[in-house]
Amino acid sequence: MDFNDSPEEAQFRAQVRQWLELNAAEYRQPLDTSDVDGYTTKARDWQRRKAEAGYAAIRWPKSEGGLEGTPMMEVIFAEEEARYHVPVGPLVTIGTSMAVPTIRKHGSPEQVEQFTRPTLYGETLWCQLFSEPSAGSDLANVRTRAVRDGDDWVINGQKVWTSWAHVADWGILLARTDPSLPKHKGMTFFLVDMRSQGIEVRPIQQISGESEFNEVFLTDLRIPDSCRIGAVGEGWKVAITTLMNERMHTVVDQSLPNVQDMIRQAQDAGIGFDRHRAAQLLTRELGLRFFRFRMLTTLSKGETPSAIAAMSKLVLSNTLQDLSAMALDHAGLHGICADGDELMEKFQYGYDWGAALRIAGGADEILRNQIAERVLGLPGEIRVDKDIPFSECR
Amino acid sequence: MNFDFSDDQRMLRDHARRFLSETSDFHVLRKVMTDGAGYGKALWQQVLDQGWQGVAVSEEQGGLGLGMLELCVLAEELGRSMAPIPFFNTVCLGAELLKRCPQTGGDLLQRLIAGEVILAVSLVTPDHDWSATPFSFAGGKISGSSGPLAYGAQADFAILPVRHAEEPALALVNLQQAQRTPLESFDATVPFARLKLEGQPATLLCSGEQARQVMARIVDQAAVLTAFEQLGGAERALEITRDYALERHTFGRAIGSYQAVKHKLADMAVKVELARSNAYYGAWALQGGSDEQLAAAAALARLSASEAYAYAAQECLHLHGGIGYTWEADCHFFYKRARLLAASLGSSDAWVNRLLSDTALQALHS
Repeated sequence: MDFNDSPEEAQFRAQVRQWLELNAAEYRQPLDTSDVDGYTTKARDWQRRKAEAGYAAIRWPKSEGGLEGTPMMEVIFAEEEARYHVPVGPLVTIGTSMAVPTIRKHGSPEQVEQFTRPTLYGETLWCQLFSEPSAGSDLANVRTRAVRDGDDWVINGQKVWTSWAHVADWGILLARTDPSLPKHKGMTFFLVDMRSQGIEVRPIQQISGESEFNEVFLTDLRIPDSCRIGAVGEGWKVAITTLMNERMHTVVDQSLPNVQDMIRQAQDAGIGFDRHRAAQLLTRELGLRFFRFRMLTTLSKGETPSAIAAMSKLVLSNTLQDLSAMALDHAGLHGICADGDELMEKFQYGYDWGAALRIAGGADEILRNQIAERVLGLPGEIRVDKDIPFSECR
Repeated sequence: MNFDFSDDQRMLRDHARRFLSETSDFHVLRKVMTDGAGYGKALWQQVLDQGWQGVAVSEEQGGLGLGMLELCVLAEELGRSMAPIPFFNTVCLGAELLKRCPQTGGDLLQRLIAGEVILAVSLVTPDHDWSATPFSFAGGKISGSSGPLAYGAQADFAILPVRHAEEPALALVNLQQAQRTPLESFDATVPFARLKLEGQPATLLCSGEQARQVMARIVDQAAVLTAFEQLGGAERALEITRDYALERHTFGRAIGSYQAVKHKLADMAVKVELARSNAYYGAWALQGGSDEQLAAAAALARLSASEAYAYAAQECLHLHGGIGYTWEADCHFFYKRARLLAASLGSSDAWVNRLLSDTALQALHS
């Protein structure tokens, strides 16, 4: 039992470190992403640099620009890359980890050819047009309609929580093609050129004041049938592939506060705090770190982590929210008016972001259901709308 | 990354689980509570026959020559089965202590490995200072009265912290002549007794700084090993509750189909997995960590496992409904064992303070 790399892993890590040392420094990016153009350009450039070296698609065949590597090698690269604060994140990974793997599994050879390389090289950035005002946890409830018209599809509807829609070149879209079928059966999966007419992107202001997400209004948007992925009515199956490719949360986000920050802040300010509560939060934070090491051990052995991996985000988001709230409470009104105190601003951010994380990518309740059903084998939820035409659902 | 037990260690776990599931069920526990022996004698003999008492003792010293990780594996399985035997005090505390005092404790360790003796061990837990130990030693004799001591009435020998010329020391005393008063135990499957010693002959195992260091090490080890015991119990409580939630129907549905029940079980599973992850860190620290890392890991593993077991045991009883409150159902075994193990190494305050100490935080974040 140890935390060490295997000889092969150590060799790969050394190779990655050397490459990053030579290449990464000029792409270092401040955490602030308010300069959208600057950030986007840097993200594209950094992605190209990685693609040229094979690090953009570590698991892909060498003939297609990859390294034929293992999931563990991907993790090692991400860990080492994180030390450089380079621009990586959904702006790039929605394309590389979600859109392209889906196209490669369900798309035509022409579609694979058209999108793989430009995405890999950072030329094509993607957004995900899945969620809607009434389709969040219940994603199969999408109401955006796609109606066939000659060689085109005409799309009308509204998407929401779409990160980077204002920047993306292309989007992956889930739309309803046949409301007379039950909800999971009447959807189809499309690719959307985000420069098309009929797309209006409106930023959503979040509780933190930032605007990372958008509403996207689709009005008489025309999509050629050549941009359909998979058969008509197979959209749910295709979307599942996309969601399965959402990456395991691998690297600790340096911009978020941790329990030690909270303890240090209280001690520095000479403020007493609930030590039992702090210790409990620390057992969660570190338990999560060691849980991740256990999951990586599974990957390292070439096995797939079990469904209990879903607990990572559940514990992370709740711990973040709880510890941030606790730190703000200690500080009294200084926690409310941070007045330039960076650590206090970090807790404010953690308190806001904790709330978002508890909802995004599987809300707490959905994750608990998943653990109960997939890990413990308890019965699934009752679905009263499962077998009736979508048009008759509430 | 290799943060897991080895294949051999997993085989030992599988073997131990099979053996204990065949030999140590709740009937054995119930029998122990009523027959007055204090422990399952036949089961203890079977465990001794397999050599588990020497699992972490070197072959030169007569043991199996495996290690602390194997002892962690056994602790988890014993926690799962709640086997009513004096393993923890004799092996996890006694043998570990004697190993560290080879000159003075070597003979008794041989007898322990041979399966001839049961030991009771009193610890100096983090909430106490050595100066508060109730025993004094002078001129080869020991005097004082103990607090509740596990298996105090069944043990052949006790290892006790003593004050010796104002120095800390560890004394070994034969309990044949000791006055022992059995105590009623909230967890009736683990017997306790109070010892009263009035000038009984005793020998010193070690003293001064060595005694302090040995005791600190044993207490940290005990916290990690207890965490594995707690983990085993918590996971079994979860499994039993899951099975019951699938079997029990209300309003025409299995109760395990209600989110209120599913989510509780999911929370149990999450706490168990966090506790397991922290316990693994403890196991790693036992085997190869620095003293500072072990001290921090011990507190981390202990607090995490205590929380998981408390939650699992309480919700196990609760989700069984009224039947869970009966003597006939098995939930109370977990319910009370969770409390015993959370209390067995001193108050949680002291462990919290240790986890939040500067040295621990530094060790955990390095």
